[in-house]
Amino acid sequence: MKSFKRKTIVNAEISTASLPDIVFLLLFFFMVTAVIRTDENLVKYEVPKAKHINKAEMKTLIRELQVGLPANARLGTEPLISDGSHYLKINELVQWVNQEKATLPEPYKDQMIIVLKADEAVKMGLIADIQQELRKSNARKVLYRSKENI
Amino acid sequence: MKITRKLNQEPVNTGSMADIAFLLLIFFLVSTTILQEKGLMITLPPDQEKQPVMPVNDRNLFKISINSKNQFLIQDEPRGDLAGLKADVKMFILNPAAANDLAESPKKAIVSLKSNRGTDYAAFIAVLDEVKGAYYDIYGERVGLSGDQYRHLDLDNPRQLALYEKGKEGIPMNISIAEPNK
Repeated sequence: MKSFKRKTIVNAEISTASLPDIVFLLLFFFMVTAVIRTDENLVKYEVPKAKHINKAEMKTLIRELQVGLPANARLGTEPLISDGSHYLKINELVQWVNQEKATLPEPYKDQMIIVLKADEAVKMGLIADIQQELRKSNARKVLYRSKENI
Repeated sequence: MKITRKLNQEPVNTGSMADIAFLLLIFFLVSTTILQEKGLMITLPPDQEKQPVMPVNDRNLFKISINSKNQFLIQDEPRGDLAGLKADVKMFILNPAAANDLAESPKKAIVSLKSNRGTDYAAFIAVLDEVKGAYYDIYGERVGLSGDQYRHLDLDNPRQLALYEKGKEGIPMNISIAEPNK
């Protein structure tokens, strides 16, 4: 009886052996969901604030365009368009849209969402030119990326 | 005999395993950019050359222009700021008193947004934000919600989707973005 009691006391320690397992589980979750940014932004942009924003459904349909001053000051002080990895000229946009559309499955081709991340100081002339090109290439769903203004 | 007993009693210390895993976890937490695609969604009109221009009755058009100095001209009336724009747009679309100079019906109402090539993008977004807010308020009111609550309805939930559809039924969000003048 005495020896049995002593044994239970020894085993009553909380086991921390499962702690690494829990942490590894979290780690794998983050490793799987992580999108590691490989390239630096080519343009600098500070998106404007807005109150009545909503989220884009269907993340796979999203393609991104950035508009802002070039990060490398030697490229001038005029705003440029970038798709994240290359600079695009305004007359190359139609071709870019068609390339991106080709990566989508057939039923979703017309539902591609262009997320426009433009700097708030960019003039509407450039934005309107982009819109015009997007209309030409039938990519008409545009999300003006903006920060939530509370 | 003594050694084997000792080996059985002391297993490999795994206490530091958690620390290593935490270190990796923190690295991934910091380096992760979670996609946040929030903003103002609109659908651009089809290409002009392919689409005939439909004549629009003047009373169905709510005109907002922004000049290159970011000053607003709302229904031919110069304004310094956007205060009250949301209420005006709502009044125009719903036209509860059936006034002659406001929209015939919410379905026919069009809000036209015209900017100048020199207008700041931020000013354009500010106006678009207010107009969208007015529409969301209208949709929300029809199903007994505020504009914000309506915007945050979960479309994967069938009951909330029904509310969402009911709110916008018959009132399309007609926001026309005109080509800017030079």
